[in-house]
Amino acid sequence: MFNFSNLVQKAQQLIIEPTLSVAGPTSDRRPSKATLFRHQFRLPDSQSPLQEITAELTLSPHHSQRSASGEVGSPEKERTQGNHYVGKLHLSEQFLCFSTHGSSFISTASLSSSSSFTGQTHGAGPAGNGFTLPLCAIRRVERLHSQSYMFALAITTWNGSADGKRKNVAPSGQKLTIQLAGSRIQCERFCDGLKKGLRAGVKEIENLRSVVSECYSEYLLAEDEEKSEGGEQGKTAREHPDTGLGLVFKYPGNARKLRDATKIRLWREYLRENGRNATLIRQPTFHKLIRVGLPNRLRGEIWELTSGSFFLRLQNPKLYTETLARFSGRESLAIDEIEKDLNRSLPEYPGFQSEEGIGRLRRVLTAYSWTNEEVGYCQAMNIVVAALLIYMSESQAFFLLSVLCDRLLPGYYSTTMYGTLLDQKVFESLVEKTMPILWDHLQKHDVQLSVVSLPWFLSLYINSMPLIFAFRVLDVFFLEGPKVLFQIGLAILRINGEELLDATDDGTFISVLKSYFARLDESAHPKSENPKLRAVTRFQELMVVAFKEFAGITQNTISEQRAKHKDAVLANIENFTKRTSIRNLGPESKRLSPNDLGFLYDRFYAILYERQQRAEIMQQEADRKVKAAKAKAMEVMTGMGGNAVEKGRVGLGPSPTQMDYDGFREFLAGIAKWAVTDSPTSPPEASGEKAGHSYFGNSMRSRPPMSPWGTGPEPADHEFMRRLFRRWDTDMTNSLNLQNVVTGFAQVKGTKDIMSNISYFFELYDDDGDGRVDREGILRISEALLFLSRRGMGEYSPSHSTVDLQQGGSPERHSNRDEQFLSSISAFIRRCFEYADPDHPSNQHQPLSDTVENPDDNFAIGTDDEDDLIDLKSEPTTPVPQKPSSPKDHIKHPLSPIPSNTDPLSSTSTPTSPDPNLPARTEKAKAANKALDPNKPLYITLPTFRMVILADEILEQFFELGFSSSFRLADAPLPSSASSSSNLTTFANAGNKSATTGLGIGGSVGGANAGIVPPGKGLRGMLDNIVSDGMRVAAEVRRRMEEAQREMDREARHGREEEDEEDEGASGAKDADLLEGAETEDVEVERGSAPDLLGVGEGSGMGAGVEARRNRSASDASRKVVEFER
Amino acid sequence: MADSGATQPKPSSSVKLVLLGEAAVGKSSLVMRFVNNDFQENKEPTIGAAFLTQKCTLPSRTIKFEIWDTAGQERFASLAPMYYRNAQAALVVYDITKSSSLTKAQHWVAELQRQASPGIVIALVGNKADLANPEGESGEGGGEVEEDVDGVVAGNEEEGEEGSGDARKVPTKTAKAYADEEGLLFFETSAKTGMNVADVFTAIANAIPETSLKGPRGVGGQSSLREGQGDARVNLGRATAEGPKEGCAC
Ligand SMILES: Nc1nc2c(ncn2[C@@H]2O[C@H](COP(=O)(O)OP(=O)(O)OP(=O)(O)O)[C@@H](O)[C@H]2O)c(=O)[nH]1
Ligand SMILES: [Mg+2]
Repeated sequence: MFNFSNLVQKAQQLIIEPTLSVAGPTSDRRPSKATLFRHQFRLPDSQSPLQEITAELTLSPHHSQRSASGEVGSPEKERTQGNHYVGKLHLSEQFLCFSTHGSSFISTASLSSSSSFTGQTHGAGPAGNGFTLPLCAIRRVERLHSQSYMFALAITTWNGSADGKRKNVAPSGQKLTIQLAGSRIQCERFCDGLKKGLRAGVKEIENLRSVVSECYSEYLLAEDEEKSEGGEQGKTAREHPDTGLGLVFKYPGNARKLRDATKIRLWREYLRENGRNATLIRQPTFHKLIRVGLPNRLRGEIWELTSGSFFLRLQNPKLYTETLARFSGRESLAIDEIEKDLNRSLPEYPGFQSEEGIGRLRRVLTAYSWTNEEVGYCQAMNIVVAALLIYMSESQAFFLLSVLCDRLLPGYYSTTMYGTLLDQKVFESLVEKTMPILWDHLQKHDVQLSVVSLPWFLSLYINSMPLIFAFRVLDVFFLEGPKVLFQIGLAILRINGEELLDATDDGTFISVLKSYFARLDESAHPKSENPKLRAVTRFQELMVVAFKEFAGITQNTISEQRAKHKDAVLANIENFTKRTSIRNLGPESKRLSPNDLGFLYDRFYAILYERQQRAEIMQQEADRKVKAAKAKAMEVMTGMGGNAVEKGRVGLGPSPTQMDYDGFREFLAGIAKWAVTDSPTSPPEASGEKAGHSYFGNSMRSRPPMSPWGTGPEPADHEFMRRLFRRWDTDMTNSLNLQNVVTGFAQVKGTKDIMSNISYFFELYDDDGDGRVDREGILRISEALLFLSRRGMGEYSPSHSTVDLQQGGSPERHSNRDEQFLSSISAFIRRCFEYADPDHPSNQHQPLSDTVENPDDNFAIGTDDEDDLIDLKSEPTTPVPQKPSSPKDHIKHPLSPIPSNTDPLSSTSTPTSPDPNLPARTEKAKAANKALDPNKPLYITLPTFRMVILADEILEQFFELGFSSSFRLADAPLPSSASSSSNLTTFANAGNKSATTGLGIGGSVGGANAGIVPPGKGLRGMLDNIVSDGMRVAAEVRRRMEEAQREMDREARHGREEEDEEDEGASGAKDADLLEGAETEDVEVERGSAPDLLGVGEGSGMGAGVEARRNRSASDASRKVVEFER
Repeated sequence: MADSGATQPKPSSSVKLVLLGEAAVGKSSLVMRFVNNDFQENKEPTIGAAFLTQKCTLPSRTIKFEIWDTAGQERFASLAPMYYRNAQAALVVYDITKSSSLTKAQHWVAELQRQASPGIVIALVGNKADLANPEGESGEGGGEVEEDVDGVVAGNEEEGEEGSGDARKVPTKTAKAYADEEGLLFFETSAKTGMNVADVFTAIANAIPETSLKGPRGVGGQSSLREGQGDARVNLGRATAEGPKEGCAC
């Protein structure tokens, strides 16, 4: 307690110090001012410190009684009586707060010394003497005229009359006098702010009334106030507020032994003099009264006040009932889990053997699970809430649970429980530090400490100690914050140190502690001569050791330790999660190698994570200031990183598990060349630093990516990708989960069987599943084949066929495999049409039983078409068609075309070679393929498709290997890729630009809606002519390809760099510098939101040139990593 | 195996055993039955894990089980490695009235087979057998269900379950087949009636290879010659009355 008479002098001292410049460069690793402010006064997150001024608070010693005797004299006179506190007066949007303790955000406060600034709670709770006054609880503010002080305010509160029951304020009328010490301008600014806040506060007075009316303190004090007012009003029977199940089922423990009546009396006195609930003023006695244990009926209310959940309730008093009403009747996993545990929560307390108690528990847990669906329900919450409900109403418990989960126990109950695991690590490291001998002993005997301590933290000792003692711990915990759990834990080990040193296995270790807990009520010094000492219980001893001996454990200690261990803990969880989920992917997944599965897992979640991050960052851009401050604040107080930034990381809890189509495109673009767009919306940048893979590397991005695709290549959007997506989306959710993706890949990559690959492809295009693909489908297939091959496929084309081909090739044609592929596709289209079955109206409804039942019987269908098989061998290079058996002969061997194809020499294969018989053949084809007439519907069946594919060696190769190896997962590509490397270099430039205009392949094939390219413009247009001059078209297409090629060659340098990255399976990085204009902002956002633990220096962002900034941020990135590993 | 009766010392060794399985399948109840021969209708969910010990006397030796009873809720799964570390035996429990719990059990088996100490003895246990229709497939109490009449009956078992008021959802045959495939011990038990509970532990005790029993701490742990500690029932959670009323029946 400070009691300075020379306030001005003191104030000047404070003012001279540059204490208020908070966001200084050195304070980066410490909580932001706003956070400290909120935590110190336990305010809702909506509050920010608007004004702050040095002030002196004067409390008349007994204003309710003594000051009532005489008129308030001059402020001067009043000042001389009572208690004076020098401290800081803060104003936020809805609160006026005062504390004698400064905050640790004072820039001169070092981490180690900050505790001396913040008192017992170290900034994590209402410390020191003062108040946290909702502005709506202020009834009147008068400016007092005083000689020696420029500004003195007299504040009258609604204390005791907020419920409007009594008009007469006199008995409980609470008046505070506050002298402001600052320049005139400062004072005036403060007063203006206060005025504004007060005006706004009027709106909330209704809330205040309803909240206050549920406070036991009102009831407690009303009794004697009414008595003192005399008879008439005294009889107004007040309803006893709901102070928990204890009211009905008795509070745990023996009230007499707990000296409950004495405690109530002391509190009544305290509250009468210092205000109650919303208008409570904290003086030293307040802390003392809490340390000795709260009285039963007041316990809930004080918990609410010290934890700050009272202020949440004040802001939204009906949230609890509204939530229940809104979700009534709804089901959820959390509800199932809650239901399982309702009967299993403090079952020995009679209240929870009754429907009443269980009903309350159910409602509170359920309501919370709806307001925080990410957490939902975690076992141990039932125990904690059950304990709360003994002392408070449902609504109070609901808000207190929110404060617990969101602020006091961050991440404890999340789906990965990373907070719990992290704090176990922190606890272990504190034990190691403070009790090295014990720690060594535990190590030596392989006793795992967290096995014992985890339940302590997770259920706040409620399940470990007898209830009455656990509640005493809670009393202090709510006031002083999470560090209390650590202090108690350390004290337990310290007190039992000797015995624990004898324990050499988990069992003994546990039983030592268990028997200790069972005897907490016994004397700590039973043999002592000193009766006073003998009267000290083991629990009291525990409290003393915890808060004296371990007074050095502060909130800062905890935050620092959390930051230090966070990474390892998250990585552990992520490994476990990965292992488990890969294992549970089902039988299909066995077709992929463990490496590939791991790769898919990483890649899948990395994409989801990064997409979420990007969305988040873009969101942050919008409300940058607010958000950034919050994220930073969050991180420092909890030591866990701003949720805003880290959200989505698997280890932190629920993260997205569903990938939408855009995510899928991005996913594919990272593993398949063909899935990268030819026409990026933003120009690629050739050089510049590439952001590392930020997911598992855990380094924050050096700057937020501004492209919607992040740093990876921009994905294409092709109909084929959509089809793949739809095919993999087996649950029809319009999104893919990991299971879908793995199964999808298992089908594509997990088989080396060409036949199933062919039918897979066919099915992709058989929209209605009737075993037929129509003209449209055929065209789409060929488009897809072109799309897939436009960057070269690499593996499917054996060299000998090239040789073979070039023999017959004309000099001007230095064909490479890609050209061959093109020709093959042309041939494919032609053949498809040649062998397609006309879809006669009579046929249309004909059941496909033939195909279905005899899938091998290729030619069973369309027997009335004369031309379907006839030209099978009439390849351009095979001038003399070998007449196959007529359809009516029902070729017995379905794969009969294959033999001819297996021999490349006899098999002809490519139409690209100039064909001397071309005209004749074309004529013939024209005649044969009336089918091309759009008026004549036609279709191909799987057998036909298969035949056509197998008829072409290149396509055959494609389906055998090319397609599946176009996806690059973790495992090394197939050996053949080495031989095809030349291919890669020519065509594989994943340049982001290619011919995008006119008929360019990229434009028409890779373009967005290939399906609606107008005829004559895209590939479709060429196809119309294909029969009359297939070769010409192929040549045309190739010419354009070559154009594109040349253009790509020009970009080959960058392209290749990207290619390398892709090959490694990492997300190819594109520089995020693209948007120079936005960059400055990005950096700002980054700086604001990046967890400080990364050690980002506060750089001179604004003035520097773009280049400079780029460099700096690169070095920032590396510095972060270094800092992080410290 | 009354511990008091252990007058002539037999070779004694410790075995670390871990219980895994979905929430509320009755893991803690099984342990409670085994250790205290007691059953409580409303057991608190296990937070983190509970630790208990119980001895099991075989003709040739005494086995002291150090039992780690873990929490079943899905999100506690990431804590499990902490508990099954060095375990020589595991009881993977499912609830015969809940099919999802068998799936979860299978996941645990897979996890153990890959991550736990090699050679860990795993028993698959279908608990709450008392809720199955006694006329049902494993009316006599399952036990080490042989491919006998029971199995045949099970064939046409699945229908009509609802009608007969049988809460069984997992046919014995299904679980047994899975257990055989994976080489697990298999039992159906009831913590409520005590059916088969001791048998599970005896079977495990017998299945632990002699060679892996090195001392009171078994393979994984450090050797400690602490003896005569009796059966400590230590719950990490609430302090409860301790001390077994009866030894295990094996
Ligand atoms: N009918 C019947 N009920 C049982 C049996 N075993 C357990 N239960 C009941 O099932 C519920 C859950 O039992 P627990 O032993 O706490 O389950 P657990 O597996 O330890 O649950 P967690 O600790 O949450 O993982 C309790 O209400 C038990 O009474 C049984 O054999 N038969
Ligand atoms: Mg349990």
